[in-house]
Amino acid sequence: MRWLIRRVLKKSASSLSYEDDIHFGEVLTIGRAADQAIFLPDLRAALNHASITAVGKNKYKVESLIVAGIRVNGEITYSITVGHGAVVELGSTRLTLVDLQGDFDAAVEVSTIDKSEQAAIVSKRKKPTSLSQTWISKRWPSWLGFFLVLGFGLLVPAATHIVPGLNKILRYSPLPSTTFWNPGEIDSAHRFFANDCTRCHKNAFLMVRDNACTSCHTSTKAHADPVKFNIPALGDARCGSCHQDHNGDRGMISKDQRLCADCHADLKTRTKGASVVADVSDFGSSHPQFHVNLPGWSADNTFTPKSMLWSSALKENSGLKFNHLKHLDPKGLNTPDGRKNLECSNCHQPDAGGSAMKPIAFETMCHECHKLGFDTLAPDREVPHADVAAVSYTLNEFYANRGLEGGYADARAPTVVQERRRPGSPPLSREERVEALAWARDRSEQAAKTVFTGKACVTCHSVNAPSAANNVWQIAPVRVSGIWYSKAKFNHAKHQTSTCLDCHGGAPKSEASNDLLIPGIENCRECHAGAHAKDKVASTCIACHGYHTSPLVTLDKKTRKSP
Amino acid sequence: MFAVHESLLTYAKSRYLWISLALSVVSIVLYVWHDPGGVPNGGTWLGYTLGTVAALLIVWLMLFGIRKRSYSTTMGSTLGWLSAHVYLGTALILIALLHCGFQFGWNLHTLTLVLMLAVIFSGFFGVYTYLRYPTLMTRNRESATRDAMLEEISDIDQNALSLADGIAPEIHGVVLRSIENTRLGGGVWTQLRARDGSDIAISKVKAAIVHRETQIGAAPPAMQAGQTMFAMVDFLAGKADDKQSEALRKLIDMLSRKRNLASRVARDIQYQAIMEIWLYIHVPLSVTLLAALIGHIISVFFYW
Repeated sequence: MRWLIRRVLKKSASSLSYEDDIHFGEVLTIGRAADQAIFLPDLRAALNHASITAVGKNKYKVESLIVAGIRVNGEITYSITVGHGAVVELGSTRLTLVDLQGDFDAAVEVSTIDKSEQAAIVSKRKKPTSLSQTWISKRWPSWLGFFLVLGFGLLVPAATHIVPGLNKILRYSPLPSTTFWNPGEIDSAHRFFANDCTRCHKNAFLMVRDNACTSCHTSTKAHADPVKFNIPALGDARCGSCHQDHNGDRGMISKDQRLCADCHADLKTRTKGASVVADVSDFGSSHPQFHVNLPGWSADNTFTPKSMLWSSALKENSGLKFNHLKHLDPKGLNTPDGRKNLECSNCHQPDAGGSAMKPIAFETMCHECHKLGFDTLAPDREVPHADVAAVSYTLNEFYANRGLEGGYADARAPTVVQERRRPGSPPLSREERVEALAWARDRSEQAAKTVFTGKACVTCHSVNAPSAANNVWQIAPVRVSGIWYSKAKFNHAKHQTSTCLDCHGGAPKSEASNDLLIPGIENCRECHAGAHAKDKVASTCIACHGYHTSPLVTLDKKTRKSP
Repeated sequence: MFAVHESLLTYAKSRYLWISLALSVVSIVLYVWHDPGGVPNGGTWLGYTLGTVAALLIVWLMLFGIRKRSYSTTMGSTLGWLSAHVYLGTALILIALLHCGFQFGWNLHTLTLVLMLAVIFSGFFGVYTYLRYPTLMTRNRESATRDAMLEEISDIDQNALSLADGIAPEIHGVVLRSIENTRLGGGVWTQLRARDGSDIAISKVKAAIVHRETQIGAAPPAMQAGQTMFAMVDFLAGKADDKQSEALRKLIDMLSRKRNLASRVARDIQYQAIMEIWLYIHVPLSVTLLAALIGHIISVFFYW
């Protein structure tokens, strides 16, 4: 096998000359020993450093013969098979395996690496010694992070506001949509459209408008008429001023008393005298005495309760005569079923909602003791309650029947009435019927008078005798207020931890029905105080009061038809 | 880096510590005093105020990156800026938490907070390195410079090679390999772990040997770290004559010195790398934070 060894000699900067040599043998040895095919007088080479074996046409095997290895194509290696063009470097010598020319079996070009090139190679092979020379960088991760976050955190979600349908696509993709901006859980009532921000946020960079709310919440009552009360500021109050969403289970109703007190602390000044509501800013420290609704009737007898400032001297007129003291006698009362102690709850029962009390009902609460009987000979018969006309005709019918049937065992009655009719007796004559019915009319009138003025009605009611004009007994109307605090909500059900007497302490001693047994503000303040109460129940305005209470104006700015 | 008597923490009698503490105390007092009328959140007047303060602080803290590079400025010393940067950056944690009223969620706003905390805590690591490593670095260098140590290593290599050549070809071979194996510096991980690269070289050599064994069938002696020394001691015990022994001892001294130098250079590189590595997190995260902050502010007012 013939090797071509071509030495490249550098004569000057620009001219080269070649010196060819032939080597016979399979293997080309390289080293510092004198017997090497390529002799390198360089301390960086071992005596027998490496060998190159031609294993085929343009195919060479380069092997290191010492542990230090040999650099082929820039990499230290121990054994490698390469083609032509491969470069072997050892110290200051470079061996290039060249493409075969002529009739050689293998060819190598030997050239010298000059000093400056060696230095360049050394510095190129130097490993980085500071982080700035390595692959890591501050610049590209910065740009990457900046644009990723800006793009996916801001621009993509913002695009959903402009591009219709994009939000829907994004929601079903792993990419962030506007829900990535959601600062907190949507209120449970609004959660079904929580993914569609534009349902409320209709305009970018504008606060949520009220029409976003009133598009669903139609006919929600306004608070007051801004025109009537000279308060344009009320018109500026947004729904969102009090109702902020994204608060999750905490809900959307703000209990902050400042929302009310901001205006109500000096409402008269603000409304330029249009409002008569007293100034208020805190239930514990700055709240006027309550107003209570007292029963009252207008001239035409329609129930028109009167709102009066509460005071301990205030009297109410329900039209009823009732003595609490007598009924609550601790020794008990005589009843048809024996002695019985009455309690508040015998008469005062909460309504189905638990908030207020049911109206007092004669039939279930009084009738057990207060029978409406009218005739000792017929003790089971009673007149109906409440229907004055029915009382009269019931009595008329009763006595007419007894008179005609006879057998009424009253010595004062005529014989025809007392006589018992026997089977087969002849029918009453015309005179006998006239006599019996005359008796019945008199007896019925007498019984009515006794019922109305003697023992039944008058016990509880004010009764006036029939006037000459109409033959009807007059019973004064009876009604308790029902709702005593018209501007506030009081809920009995929420106060079950208290006893009745805690608030209605005067009841057991009250002898007159016109005693006002509804408490004033001092009673509530024993347990309740304003928002900042420390040792009492902290209660803000909306604990008792509503906001959306205007009788005439709704939030969608339509005047309601009827108050 | 900075003299002990005037570190970044004690600059100007810790002036910025007191400023930051004052800022924190004012924020806490306002937060406690303020009644948000619900739960504390970023949408109250205090929320907006603290948010504005926090956003301005973030922008100002990021300006430090520019201030650090401008050498002709009349706006205080870099050390003063760094001291303020550290203390006010720490106060920012509190201000941002009070701003959000401790409300968190899977959203852009909490992402902004998390990024901010990551930036600040990476900065804490930076403070730690600035306080600890300059001293270690000085001690490790023993008042030489890295270039001087590298030059000495290069000189030792030259001398060792010619000395080894005078002993025996095997010794020359191992010294040659030892030179080849000495790799100072390297990738990020190598720099941080203070490896002089010989492990990488050795593993490459091992792989090559295995490769060669399978090809030739001849098993070369096993390669292990520190093998250069063992090989020479073996030689010394076996067949060396007096003159060779003398030269070998000299060679071993020389190579020990080189080894010592190499590990010090590696450590020097490590210290420098540790002092710099956190910046590769701190800086990109702070730029990312800026994007999140812009997104946070704009999105809040986009859907007001």
